[in-house]
Amino acid sequence: MARSAAPDTGASSPVVTADDVTKIYYRGSEPGRLARILGRSQPPAVRAVESVSITISNEEIVGLAGPSGSGKSTILHMLAGLKRPTSGTVLFRDTDLETLSKRERTRHRLEHIGVVFQQFHLLDSLSARANVALPLVELGIGKRQRRQRAAELLERVGLGDRITHRPGELSGGEQQRVAIARALITDPDLVIADEPTGELDTDTGRTILETFRQVAENRAVVLASHDHETLGSCDRLIQLRDGSVTDHLTQKESIDEYS
Amino acid sequence: MNIRKLVIHWLGLVSVGIRRTASRATYTAKQRMRFSVLGVAVVIALLVMVTGLGVGLATNTTVYDEDIDYWIVPATDSPESPLIATDNPQFNSVHQANDRIHEHDDVEYATPVLSQVLRIRTNETEEYVLVVGVINTSELERVAGLRTHSLRPHDPYYMNGEYDGEWTGDTVLSRSAADTLSVSTGDPVSIVGNNSFTVSAVDNQSRSVGNVPTALVQLSELQSITGSTTYDQADQFVVGTNTPAVQSELQGLYPNSDIRSRGEMTVSDTRDSELSLALALTAFLVSLSIGMLFVITTSGLEIVADQQQLVILSAMGISTRSQLKLIGVETIVMAGLGGLFGAVSGVVGIRLINIVSIRTITTEPIAVSHPLFIGYGVSVALLVGLLSLPFLLVTARRVSGGVP
Repeated sequence: MARSAAPDTGASSPVVTADDVTKIYYRGSEPGRLARILGRSQPPAVRAVESVSITISNEEIVGLAGPSGSGKSTILHMLAGLKRPTSGTVLFRDTDLETLSKRERTRHRLEHIGVVFQQFHLLDSLSARANVALPLVELGIGKRQRRQRAAELLERVGLGDRITHRPGELSGGEQQRVAIARALITDPDLVIADEPTGELDTDTGRTILETFRQVAENRAVVLASHDHETLGSCDRLIQLRDGSVTDHLTQKESIDEYS
Repeated sequence: MNIRKLVIHWLGLVSVGIRRTASRATYTAKQRMRFSVLGVAVVIALLVMVTGLGVGLATNTTVYDEDIDYWIVPATDSPESPLIATDNPQFNSVHQANDRIHEHDDVEYATPVLSQVLRIRTNETEEYVLVVGVINTSELERVAGLRTHSLRPHDPYYMNGEYDGEWTGDTVLSRSAADTLSVSTGDPVSIVGNNSFTVSAVDNQSRSVGNVPTALVQLSELQSITGSTTYDQADQFVVGTNTPAVQSELQGLYPNSDIRSRGEMTVSDTRDSELSLALALTAFLVSLSIGMLFVITTSGLEIVADQQQLVILSAMGISTRSQLKLIGVETIVMAGLGGLFGAVSGVVGIRLINIVSIRTITTEPIAVSHPLFIGYGVSVALLVGLLSLPFLLVTARRVSGGVP
C-alpha cells in the first residue's frame, strides 16, 4: 500500500497549517510562585498531541482517524483556535493564531471557521432558522437578510420545511443538518466536524456525509471520526495514535482501508 | 463596526434575548423561568401595595366607590375622640334632625347617638357600663361595635314627637358587659334605678374597642332615664351613605358641627405623621434589595446551568461581550416581565386591601391605586435587573469560553 511518509502539504492553496504542534494537558493546576518556593512540583502532564504537522487545503475533505485518546479532537480544537498549542504554530492562511488575543480568535472563528459537534449543540430555545442565523447577528447583518440566508441554507440541507421547528422537535439527523447549516452561514474557509455522525444511525450518517460533500466546494473540511464509512468518504486521511501522526492516506488508500 | 451595524447588532441581540426568554418561559425551562419571574413579581406586588397604603395615608384616600359613613359631631377642641366622648356639647331636637337626614335619597341609614357611662344593676352585681342610645333601622348594622338587630326599629317610645309611645326596654349587651354583669338574654337589668330593661341579646362578636362593657338601648328610653328629653339631645349622628355628596348636605344640619368620615377618625393621627413617606421609602429600598438578591440568585443559577450554551456561543464565534449583552437583555426582560405581573398584582392587591379594610376597620379605602403604579412597579423591577447585572456579568464571564 503506497503511503506518504512526509507531512502532507496539500494539493491546492493551504487553508490551515499546523506546524510541529504539541499540546500538553496538566492534571490539576500549575503551582504558583509561593507553591514553587515551598517545593511543590509540576502536576502530572499528559501529551495529547506530539509534534504534529498537517496542512489542510481548499476544497478537500480531510479525515482524522485514530482510537479514543489519539488526539483527534485536540487537533481540531487547535485548528479552530479553541485551544492554544503548547508549542508549535497554527497558521490560518497567513495568520498565526498564536498571535491573536482570545477576542480576536473568537472573531476569527466567526468569520473563517464553521464548527460542527457530535452532539449538535444547538440552542434549544431557538428555532432552526434562528439557530442558523445567530452568527449573522454577531456580524451585524440585518434581520431580513439573516432570515433569508438561514432559510436558503436550511433548504440546501433539506430542511426547508422545518425552519420554524425547535431542536427538540427535530430528529438527530435533522439537528446535525441544522448544525452544518449554522457552520456554513458565514461562508467559512474551513469547516471542522468532530464525530459528525457519531450520534446518528447509518442511513442518517450517509445523508450527513453527502451534505458535507456538497458543502466542500470552495472550502476545506476536516472531520474527526471513528466511523469507517465517514473516513472512507474523505479525500485524504491522517492516522493518529497516542498524539502523533502515524500515517497519511490518499482517498484510494482510505477507501481500501475503511470501506 | 459602524453605527448602523452596531444598531443592527444590538437589535439582533435584543430580539434573540426576548425570544430565548419567551421560549424558556413557555417551552424549554418553564419551571425555572416562571419561578424567577414569580419571585420578582411578588417583590414588586408588595412594593406597589405598601406604596398604595403609604400614598393612601398621605392623601387621606377618597376613592368614592364604596360605602362611606359620616359622623356629625359638635365642633369642639376636646382632645377626646368623638367616638367615646361623653361630656362634649350635644345636639338638640335630634329626632327631627334625623328625619331630615333620612329625607336625602342617598342616605342609607342615620341615627343620633347618645352615650353615657351609667350604673347597671342586676340581681347579683352592679357595674358601670357605657350605655349608647340609638334609633334602629333595618339598614343600621352596628353602633359602638354592637349589632342593632335586636332593638325594635324606629324608637317606639318616641311617637309623634312625644315620649309616650311603647316602652321596649330593649338592651343589647356586649359580651364583656354580659360577663361583667353575669347576665344572659332574657334577664332583667336596672339602668340608673329604672327596672324596666331586659337583655334582648348578647353580642358575642361585639367590636367595642378594648372590650369596654357596652350596652345598646333605644335612644328615647336612654334620654328619658338621663333627663335628656327636654331638648331631645344626643352627642352625635352616624350616617351611612354610598355617595360623598351627602357630606355637604350634612354640613348645613347644625351650625357648629363637624362632619367626619369614619376613616378620618381612625387614621387622622397616622396621616399627620411622616409615616407614609417612610413606609413608601422603606418599601422601595427593601424591594430593591430583596429583588436584587432574588434576581442575582436565580439568574446566577440560570447562567451556571446554561454554561454549556455560553461555551457553544463562544465556539460559534459569538464574542464574550455579545454573550454578556445577551444575558443582560434576558435579565432585563425577565425582571421587566416580573415587574409587569407584580405591578398588576399589586394594584389588584390594593383593591383587596381596601375591600377587607372597609369590611373590618374603615368605611373608606385606606390605600390608593393609580395606573402610574404599573409604570412604577415595572421601573423598579428594571432597576433591580440593572443593578443585578454587574454580578451576573462577572459570573457569566467566568463560565464563558472553552470547548463544548
